[in-house]
Amino acid sequence: MGEIKITVNGKEMIGKSGDTILNIAAENGIEIPNLCYNKNLKIYGACGLCLVEIEGAAKLFRACATAAENGMVIKTDTERVRRARKVALELIMSDHFGDCKAPCHLNCPAHTDIQGYLKQIALGNDKEAVRIIKEKIPIPASIGRICPHPCESHCRRRLVEEPLSIAYLKAFAADNDLASEDPYKPAKAKPTGKKISIIGGGPAGLSAAYYLCLGGHSVTVYDAMPEMGGMLRYGIPEYRLPKAVLRKEISAIEELGVVMKNGIKIGKDIGFDEIRADFDAVLIAAGAWSSSKIGCKGEELNGVIGGIDFLRKVNLGEIPDIGKSVAVIGGGNTAMDACRTAIRCGAEKVYVIYRRTRAEAPAEDIEIEEAIEEGVEFRFLTNPAEIIGENGKVKALKLQVMELGEPDASGRRKPVPVEGKFEILEADTVISAIGQKYDGTGFDSVALTDRGTIFADENSCMTNLEGVFAAGDATNGGASIAIKAIAEANLAAKAMEAYLDGLPVDFKKPYYSEKKMTEKDFADKEKIPRAKMPVKSPEARKRNFDSVIDGFTDEQARAEAKRCLECGCHDYPDCRLIRYANERPIEPQRFAGEIHESFVERKLVSIERDQGKCILCNLCVRTCSEEAKKGILGLVGRGFKTVIKPEFDDSNTTEFCKTCRRCADICPTGALEIIE
Amino acid sequence: MRIVIGEGSCGIAAGASKIRSAIENLLCKGENLSIGTTGCIGMCFLEPIVDIYEGKKLLKRLVKVGEKDAKAIVDAVRTGDFSGVDYITISAEDEQFLEKQTRIALRHCGIIDPTSIEDYCAFGGYGAFEKTIKTMTPEEVIEEIKISGLAGRGGAGFPTWFKWNAAKNSRTEGKKYLICNADEGDPGAFMDRAVIESDPHGLIEGMLIGAYAIGAAEMTVYVRAEYPLAIKHLEEAIKQAKNHNLLGENILGTDFSCEMSIKAGAGAFVCGEETALIESLEGRRGMPRLKPPFPAQSGYMGEPSNINNVETFANVPWIIEKGGAAFAAMGTENSKGTKVFALTGKIKKGGLVEIPMGKTLREVIFEIGGGIREGKKIKAVQLGGPSGGCIPAELLDTVIDYNALAQTGAIMGSGGMVVMDESTCMVGMAKFFLDFTANESCGKCVHCRIGTKRMQEILTRIVKGEGRKGDVELLEELCEAVKEGSLCGLGQTAPNPVLTTIRYFRNEYDAHINEKRCPAKECSALLTYSVDAKKCVGCTLCARKCPAKAISGEIKKPHFINQAICIKCGQCEKSCRFGAISVR
Repeated sequence: MGEIKITVNGKEMIGKSGDTILNIAAENGIEIPNLCYNKNLKIYGACGLCLVEIEGAAKLFRACATAAENGMVIKTDTERVRRARKVALELIMSDHFGDCKAPCHLNCPAHTDIQGYLKQIALGNDKEAVRIIKEKIPIPASIGRICPHPCESHCRRRLVEEPLSIAYLKAFAADNDLASEDPYKPAKAKPTGKKISIIGGGPAGLSAAYYLCLGGHSVTVYDAMPEMGGMLRYGIPEYRLPKAVLRKEISAIEELGVVMKNGIKIGKDIGFDEIRADFDAVLIAAGAWSSSKIGCKGEELNGVIGGIDFLRKVNLGEIPDIGKSVAVIGGGNTAMDACRTAIRCGAEKVYVIYRRTRAEAPAEDIEIEEAIEEGVEFRFLTNPAEIIGENGKVKALKLQVMELGEPDASGRRKPVPVEGKFEILEADTVISAIGQKYDGTGFDSVALTDRGTIFADENSCMTNLEGVFAAGDATNGGASIAIKAIAEANLAAKAMEAYLDGLPVDFKKPYYSEKKMTEKDFADKEKIPRAKMPVKSPEARKRNFDSVIDGFTDEQARAEAKRCLECGCHDYPDCRLIRYANERPIEPQRFAGEIHESFVERKLVSIERDQGKCILCNLCVRTCSEEAKKGILGLVGRGFKTVIKPEFDDSNTTEFCKTCRRCADICPTGALEIIE
Repeated sequence: MRIVIGEGSCGIAAGASKIRSAIENLLCKGENLSIGTTGCIGMCFLEPIVDIYEGKKLLKRLVKVGEKDAKAIVDAVRTGDFSGVDYITISAEDEQFLEKQTRIALRHCGIIDPTSIEDYCAFGGYGAFEKTIKTMTPEEVIEEIKISGLAGRGGAGFPTWFKWNAAKNSRTEGKKYLICNADEGDPGAFMDRAVIESDPHGLIEGMLIGAYAIGAAEMTVYVRAEYPLAIKHLEEAIKQAKNHNLLGENILGTDFSCEMSIKAGAGAFVCGEETALIESLEGRRGMPRLKPPFPAQSGYMGEPSNINNVETFANVPWIIEKGGAAFAAMGTENSKGTKVFALTGKIKKGGLVEIPMGKTLREVIFEIGGGIREGKKIKAVQLGGPSGGCIPAELLDTVIDYNALAQTGAIMGSGGMVVMDESTCMVGMAKFFLDFTANESCGKCVHCRIGTKRMQEILTRIVKGEGRKGDVELLEELCEAVKEGSLCGLGQTAPNPVLTTIRYFRNEYDAHINEKRCPAKECSALLTYSVDAKKCVGCTLCARKCPAKAISGEIKKPHFINQAICIKCGQCEKSCRFGAISVR
């Protein structure tokens, strides 16, 4: 066979005469995307991804099926080619009914591989589970106890009966690992010689410190409080997160080599510029430590205290004099922490004042439930109009009665005052837990957003100052949940490493295929109730700060983890379709429409076929017929309804199929999965 | 004298068999009155048709004949006095339909008895073939076809001689195949059926000449199973030809041997694509193959094969008989000979029309087809079926020529010509054809399988009044992608009806999307029926006719239509005698 010379994307290359453009380009290091080609099988030419331009020809050619000719000048990456490839991918994706990642993963701000660690927990491999968790969350025993778990709200098992108890399972595995003789210890990269300072030792600061330390950098964390942990240490009450657990996890980070300096406030104990000068990069993760004002008359009275200020005091070991009767204002988790802490501090009467109803309350329902069990009285649809004082001290609250009006921007119905309707509530202490803010001191040169938070670029995480990054509650959108602070810190850590390496930062949200499903899709699924976390009785828990939960038993945890539906695609790491779909932005939603017949079946031996993920590349059909010489698979139907199906019923298919599994190996997506 | 009944599928559908029995029942025992049969003359609008012949001379053509006319016909033939059948005699105006045509491919259709080889031979049948194998070399045959300028009549318009020559030269020894594509799938196209039903020997003769030219010893006709009469006539014709030593070993005493078979296709549109047709012939799912290799190199069973359409073959004996130059004398610079069209739609005289290339669309539609029914105005004409495009009334002076038609965005195609008047919604028309191709996609190429589906969905929402801004641009983008990304002609041409309607009737798309209005008043979801209180006399007829009980009102007082219940069927408008109901 003779040799020919062709030019691909300006690069001259030699190939065998008669060989295809695709092959010659591939041999010379230029990959032309394709989904239906395999060099051992007959050329099919269906996916349309390998279209290329040939100089002098009007139309585009399929590189997989076009024999290269001597002197051909081929372009695989022109605007026209890219456009054609984009539409092809969009069309395929518009009819690809599959989840690249499970909904829990996508809805976890830190994108933890939940499906992955649940599987390990189900198998009893807690250490491996922790390894997976710690790719995203360095303090899982703590986070598992306190996370409001958006993952669970999106767990698809809720369409069967109830979501999995993901957060507690995470804590379960992490507790077991911490208690084990040989807890998981991550590998550290070689020292880089770079020095990084992190200001704030809360979830964001600790997380960034962990990953940057693992990256081989020398990391120092400064924190104003006596101990590390930030809001986890000083905001969350002991009964929800025992400090011993948090300390253990922080120690593990310290043992990796992170230098931790407590009791140092920037701007007071050390200048910000000094830190900037001493380190190659700085991360501000200072948190939001200042309570928002109620904004009503009497706020300055003695006995009015901010929610986090109150919680901090208690967590510092002070028992504040709150009197017999306490009114907590707010409907969030901080309000719940405050009211339940007030009960534990000995208050006889504790009220929660919330201007909407229970349904709108941002606090977790279990928190409201347990607070009620502990004797807290909820006054929904009331709002403080005035704090009434006597001798400069709180005496009572004048409450404006509210009703719900039209939905507001957040989608919740807006509370509106019922004109002239007020109530008086006797109280010795008023705790305002309606929000918290970054207080802004110590970083005068750092630019702020309109909301008074530190501005950090969404992509680079950098502030207005070169080499100064920011993450967590102090930044951009302001205070949120711990896992979000961790997620931001993880991103910032990557951005800082890129910055230190002098590389550009480009965090693009990956494109994922996502399924929309309803209860109907799971109508036949066996119902297995969610594991119930053993909780101490209200009487046993309300007068002390002991943990209210006892933790899952081993049996409970394994069974619970097995409830996982494993929504995410097994083939994600190797899927060519999703790799191509992420090379350049695509918008398959432009073509959203009907999806072809979708079902999952196991007619082939040891193989589960997910028709929804099939893209009809025909590779399985061809390998079954050409290589396995069986011809079990074939195309059925016409037009959009065309599907690939085994041609025989179960027993015959079994007889023919044996277990060659060629089809599963060759499938470019996750439509065929080997089931052991 | 002989009574000849037009008994093609269309004649039978119109009642020809009943007329035959009625006439036969009237005959006395032993009466020597001959009743013959013939195929389709192509005048669908006049079926059933009964001809009275004296020898080869047509004495009388009777049209729209019914069972009740049998006696008058028999009497006329018995007495030789035709005054009794004047009322069913074809009018001079309708005779124009045939007189204005030039028939080559259809030259025997509706004239000869398709079940009789003798009748075919009496019209000079197999003369061209005999001349070919006895006096011409294959090269000379191909040269003659080259001179004629004959191009593939199935739609692509590829020069026939070129394909024959490639197949001939691909190999000197071993098997070769000649295949006739009779998988006529375009909705509304029926010229291939007419030729096979009405002149099966004409097809066999054309194929034999082709087989001789390329050196094939086996011929196959791939015909739709939905054409049972065509298959029956062709089977009979093959038997007769064998008996006459026109098929089989050493044909007519020469060295040339050739067998012929029929393969009934299961009705997949894509099997009209030659490589998909070959797959189907081989017993596999009808899906296009990649080209190259072309069938002339590796076709049926991997052997060199040549595939032509029925109409292409039907022209061949004439060309050999009269010479290529005679054929080339007709037509335009680059389109030679004649072309058969199946004229349908809102036309007065629908049927099969064969005219020389170079005539204008206007001549075909108005001079032969008699113009539009019910005095309406012509809006557009769709050429080439679902793969073709629509040509607006302003461009009716376009000549019938491969290039000229392609410039309008339409194609010559296999010859479907659907005429549309002002009451046809062009978006709905595009959707109709796209529905067809989308459902007939073989499912192989992503662009064709999913792309046409998405186009169908977008068109559906537009005609339902749910179109969105940007939908036309999205359609255009999809059209280009589907054309470029599809392997075979089905996908490559499926967007044509959409592209041409956007090109010429963009205003209709915009009206549907922006104003939620169908200018042709055809998209029921966008119509509003209302009663003009000034004209309504309260006769209650509309209320009684309304199937949805959407109309109410007291007797002798104006009625009104409840729009929430109205199903927009239009019954009220049709029933109102006072013109009080309007639609917009």
